[in-house]
Amino acid sequence: MSDYGSSLDKAREDFFAEAQELIDGLGRDVLALDARLKQNAPAHELINDVFRGVHTLKGLTGLFGATLMLSVSHELEDVLDDLRLGRLALSPEVLDIVFGAVELYGKLLIAERGQAPEPTGEVRALLNALGNAGVQGADARASPIARYELDPALLGVLTEYEEHRLRAAIESGAHLFKLRVTFSLMSIDTALEDLKQRARTYGEIITYLPSASATSGDDIELEVILASPDSAVTVADALADLSVAVEEIARAQPLPAPPRMGSRLSPTSSLLPPFADLVAPQGIDAPRDSLGPPSLALGASLRSVSQTVRVDIRKLDNLMNIVGELAIVRTSLLEVVERLRLRAGQREIATDLQRLHRAFERHLAKMQGGILEVRMVPLGQAFEKLARIVRQLSREHDKEVNLVVTGAETEIDKLIVEELSDPLMHMIRNSIDHAIESPHERARVGKPAAGTIVVNAYQKGNQVVIEVEDDGRGIDEDRVVASALRLGMITHDEARDLPRRDILSLLFRPGLTTRDAAGDTSGRGVGMDVVKTNIAKLGGIIDVSGESGIGTKITITMPITLAIIRVLMVSVAGRIYAVPLPAIEEAIAFDERLVRAYDGREVLTQRGATLPICRLRKLFGHDAAPALPTEPRGRAGFVVIASVGGRRAGFVVDKLLAHQDIVIKSLGKTLRGVRGFAGAAELGDQRVGLVVDMAQLIDDALDYSGVHHQPAGALS
Amino acid sequence: MKALSRKTSRAAARSNNAARTEFLTFSLAGDEYAARIAVVAEIVRSPPITEVPRAPRCVLGVASVRGRLVTVIDGRRRLGLPEAAPGARSRILLVDTGGGEFVGVMVDAVLQVLRLSALEIEPASVLGGDQPAHVVGIGRPEGASGESTAMRASAASAIIVIVDLMNLVQAVA
Repeated sequence: MSDYGSSLDKAREDFFAEAQELIDGLGRDVLALDARLKQNAPAHELINDVFRGVHTLKGLTGLFGATLMLSVSHELEDVLDDLRLGRLALSPEVLDIVFGAVELYGKLLIAERGQAPEPTGEVRALLNALGNAGVQGADARASPIARYELDPALLGVLTEYEEHRLRAAIESGAHLFKLRVTFSLMSIDTALEDLKQRARTYGEIITYLPSASATSGDDIELEVILASPDSAVTVADALADLSVAVEEIARAQPLPAPPRMGSRLSPTSSLLPPFADLVAPQGIDAPRDSLGPPSLALGASLRSVSQTVRVDIRKLDNLMNIVGELAIVRTSLLEVVERLRLRAGQREIATDLQRLHRAFERHLAKMQGGILEVRMVPLGQAFEKLARIVRQLSREHDKEVNLVVTGAETEIDKLIVEELSDPLMHMIRNSIDHAIESPHERARVGKPAAGTIVVNAYQKGNQVVIEVEDDGRGIDEDRVVASALRLGMITHDEARDLPRRDILSLLFRPGLTTRDAAGDTSGRGVGMDVVKTNIAKLGGIIDVSGESGIGTKITITMPITLAIIRVLMVSVAGRIYAVPLPAIEEAIAFDERLVRAYDGREVLTQRGATLPICRLRKLFGHDAAPALPTEPRGRAGFVVIASVGGRRAGFVVDKLLAHQDIVIKSLGKTLRGVRGFAGAAELGDQRVGLVVDMAQLIDDALDYSGVHHQPAGALS
Repeated sequence: MKALSRKTSRAAARSNNAARTEFLTFSLAGDEYAARIAVVAEIVRSPPITEVPRAPRCVLGVASVRGRLVTVIDGRRRLGLPEAAPGARSRILLVDTGGGEFVGVMVDAVLQVLRLSALEIEPASVLGGDQPAHVVGIGRPEGASGESTAMRASAASAIIVIVDLMNLVQAVA
């Protein structure tokens, strides 16, 4: 609660700071405005700045409920709008009022902080003054714009402010020029700014628009309307090095009269291609749409921005929860249907209801699919970083490496993409550091000087496969075995006839490295085991293959989404637990007679190999708890053999129930310290089942000292 | 000018000492407790609760409340009171702990909503030096002034322990 309060206080403090800054800025601008007025210098840009400042302040004060400041801002904004649109002339009297308003802002802000009484009298006086200063009714003067031969399509898209500036420029006797300039789409922002800066000394840029002429796909031609007191020659000379075509806009003949600017909102349709009318028969966008291909491209990119929304992934989780709720409603509905069906005379209703239920179910599935789809992002997000790393590392190591990425468009859950970045980076580092030889060495064995790392991704059913393959020296199995021997991971006996697959899996054991000296980037012995653990956490599996001397290929298989995982439901002492499938090697029938006890641990011999086992009943303390009525009498049970990161263990459960896709939810802060669970999932009948975290359970099973994780009395 | 009138009325309220806070009272092992009602997001009947092996003792387990996964804490165990199985009047008070996470506290029964002024709340220290962090005060509805009439005698004798639910659910070890 206190946290909430303090964050509010902080927000308020931020408001005061920001408002004070804006008021200070306004004060400076109004002073400058005063100076301009005294020199009779043009002040339109300053007025515009003041207007924008007041507008921002208005939004801010509205947000924080500073009502007095809001009403002052509101009136002041109106007056400034009149000023900037030329409906009101800037006079010392008007400026006095604006000065007064800025001064009053300062007082109001102090009052808002509670450090002074609210100056209500002054506010009322100022509001009166502002009300009197404003003009009522539209400007009735005839438009001077009509005096020029301006493209009606252009006039149609001028904002009110641009129109006013155009009118003011014409009235001041300036010439109008149309500049044509071609920009590359890539650098348009900076180039345009450059042009504006240059042109400012000669006149005022009224507006700029993509021109109708066709240009190549990467360039865009803009038409810029410039008002300047100088001649066409002067302007053309000034902008000569920017390759700008300058054309003076001629004064119009008295007849026929060009459309009045007041017609801005109803398009001058007779002058536009019919296409534009079809697309946007109303509104100021119409003429823009009628422009050529380059501007269409520009329009398309603008549109795609406005059609994209950024969504907090938690909101999607929330939607997913709601879908979960609906699924429960659906189950209950089905029960009602079944009950109805049994009643004589109501079979017809039951059939109708059944049909509705089916439709409901179908749409629900679609909705779930839709939400999952929204969570999907292209893998390219994770791949982009790799290119930079390859560049940097290959330079550091004096190696030439090409990165080839395919399948970057493959989509996967947003959360997974973020978690994939680090493991992928590790793998690429390993490749460059260990696998890819120096150009000299590569030449010696007849390989091209530049090594290649291929990253390939594709979707396979409900999973995404990512392959990272290099053409380096491959994995030297003898060195792996030697290293494992040195670290005591395996015995000499085991080393003698270790199958190839097992040798490669040694790479994922903690601490193993085949390098003699630790490199800068990898080779310290943390690496592949970390990669495997991280991948396993996401429910993925990782596999290495390759030929010594030819190359290495690492394959990662990930579930498409974390939100839905495939699990094996098992029961232990009547409780249901979900075991993620990727961690399971196999499940075998449990035979009590094969269990051997050794140093307080229990092991099974499975296909000639020793398998530590752990009775979940004991680990979870269900032996101590009273038996549930659903608990089976005769216990034979099964052993679920799981492996994560090269560590294996068997878990004894009572029953294997079913494979199921579940929506996993996190357990939350309160249970964060509890080991062994990745989350929980609804089982459909309002009950919740826990999803085990096999990596942690295997650790527990292997470290199992017999007392360690046990509730008192759980062990006999 | 709306802001002005709002401010005056607030000032008036303060001088009157009529500012009252709403508390939800509930019972646990025969005693009455109160918690600020603003902290309680929802009161629900208990859905099936799944026990979480190796969780802290006061955690009953996890449950799904309309699609939302909720950790349920046993109010009795949390306060060190004698245990009892949930009964027909048992309810779960849901507390929003921030970050979209809700924790539920199982209580024996929900009793009433009580509005207490500052004068009706004594500091927790009156109970003696070492009170746990979740005990924030003692409520004495209508008995604080000592002028309680005979009619109110029973109410005056009631002692309500005011607990900070947020602390109760967050400091679960």
